Amino acid sequence: MDSKPTILGVTAGRPRPLSPNIQIYRPQLTSVLSIANRITSVVLSLGAVGLVIWLTAAAMGPRAYGEVQGVVVSWGGRIVLFGFTFAFFMHLCGGIRHLVWDTVHGFELRSIYISGWAVVAGSVVLTLAAWAASLLLAG
Amino acid sequence: MRSPLARAQGLGSAKGGVKHWWAERASAVALVPLTLWLLGSIVAHTGGDYATVIGWLKTPLASLSMIVLLLALFHHTALGLQVVIEDYVHSDAKFAAVIAVRLGCLSLASAGVVATLQIAFSR
Amino acid sequence: MIIESSDQVPRVTLLKRFPVPRNFKVTPQSRIEKGRTWPAPADASRLKAFEVYRYDPESDRNPRIDTFEVDLDDCGPMVLDALIWIKNKVDPTLAFRRSCREGVCGSCAMNMDGTNWLACTRFISDMSKPATIYPLANLPIIKDLVPDTTHLFAQYEIIQPWLHAETPTPEKERLQSPQERSQLDGYYECILCFCCTSGCPSHWWNGDRFLGPAALLQAWRWLADSRDEAEEERLDTLEDPFRLYRCHTILNCTRTCPKGLNPGKAIAEIKKMVIEREG
Repeated sequence: MDSKPTILGVTAGRPRPLSPNIQIYRPQLTSVLSIANRITSVVLSLGAVGLVIWLTAAAMGPRAYGEVQGVVVSWGGRIVLFGFTFAFFMHLCGGIRHLVWDTVHGFELRSIYISGWAVVAGSVVLTLAAWAASLLLAG
Repeated sequence: MRSPLARAQGLGSAKGGVKHWWAERASAVALVPLTLWLLGSIVAHTGGDYATVIGWLKTPLASLSMIVLLLALFHHTALGLQVVIEDYVHSDAKFAAVIAVRLGCLSLASAGVVATLQIAFSR
Repeated sequence: MIIESSDQVPRVTLLKRFPVPRNFKVTPQSRIEKGRTWPAPADASRLKAFEVYRYDPESDRNPRIDTFEVDLDDCGPMVLDALIWIKNKVDPTLAFRRSCREGVCGSCAMNMDGTNWLACTRFISDMSKPATIYPLANLPIIKDLVPDTTHLFAQYEIIQPWLHAETPTPEKERLQSPQERSQLDGYYECILCFCCTSGCPSHWWNGDRFLGPAALLQAWRWLADSRDEAEEERLDTLEDPFRLYRCHTILNCTRTCPKGLNPGKAIAEIKKMVIEREG
């Protein structure tokens, strides 16, 4: 095997092609939940910005607060809020799964898959529960 | 024209990195109860008017929890987004992006803390 | 739905590939072109189509996908048997690595139906219609299904996979209790096939600096060895935001290991050891 410089190597004067990776690799529960956790983290970062906006409006007085709340309780706002709630619970459940892994527990494939589906189920159930509770309390 | 081993070695091990990892975990553990408290409070005060919300937030316990939440939240966010940027951005823009994220999180955390204090000390 | 061991082939496919453009982040020289369909053998009753990645370094052409119809009554049960049948009966230029044909040498590691495994221990009957055969993911290709693993072996060399002991060699063995020896179980069996590293998304994006599951599993093998005396140097070599901490516990590695090993767990053990020496 005749490898020349450049990280890709060269055969017969041509740079070697790179075999496909994400273009063909099968999505599995492992990689899908991992990227989902990352996507939720980015979504929640935006949510954190939203939290600061909401707090600042509250500090500025009833009029500023009223404007921000108007957006929040609008139909578009509620859909976004629902999305944020789901992202929050998915990141929370996924995060707890990660914290358990940090203690070096739950690494057998069976546990990985059971905890993975538990994260999916937990996210859905907790999101619906939170919104049901909110609707009940709002009367 | 480096050897494969030299290329894999790069500039050698930084002999560090655990602090970042540990801080991410510590802030995560703190955020579990804090975010659940925030979510619970928001759900409990659904439909509340301005006075109710301010009344809840200005209590010492709520103000303190909110401040600790903001600090832990933006610390965790800054650490997490830094990792995301390091993963996907490999040009020189990476350093600028990480600085921007850290400064942004610092500013937002400060703004949030100031707003919370203003509410706490308002009439 | 619940996978109990890595040799389990999924029964249900919700998504065959991630929803990215076909040529997402693909350099012009790596772009896959349309290939040819080779003629099916005459008077064969059981045929199976195989789509195989091809690349000829001596032509000017890009890689392509060739389709072969394999006579299942004329070849053995494993994917490697099918590749050998193709090479013997249809296209002798098909290039692939192989040796032991029993899952212990690691030569025939490749990507089949989207996941990395050994061709000699993957049943043809577990493959989809058509079966898709690609080389190990994210590696420079020398020819057809033969990847260049130089960089992966260089990363293995970085972790210094040999015993470091200043204590002079004893007259007989360096003694080890059965309990101490059991700490190596699940790590010493690695055959360095690199299915794990080549299936790790973090290694795809940062493989120049992230050591990857194979090298890190072996690094843990040496850290866990009671006869080794160089934990400090080993941990210094590993503790780096890229070498070790690009691992985000995605766990594609554990899912794909054809020997049923657990690189994800080994890496978690390393991270735990780093924390333990912190304080």
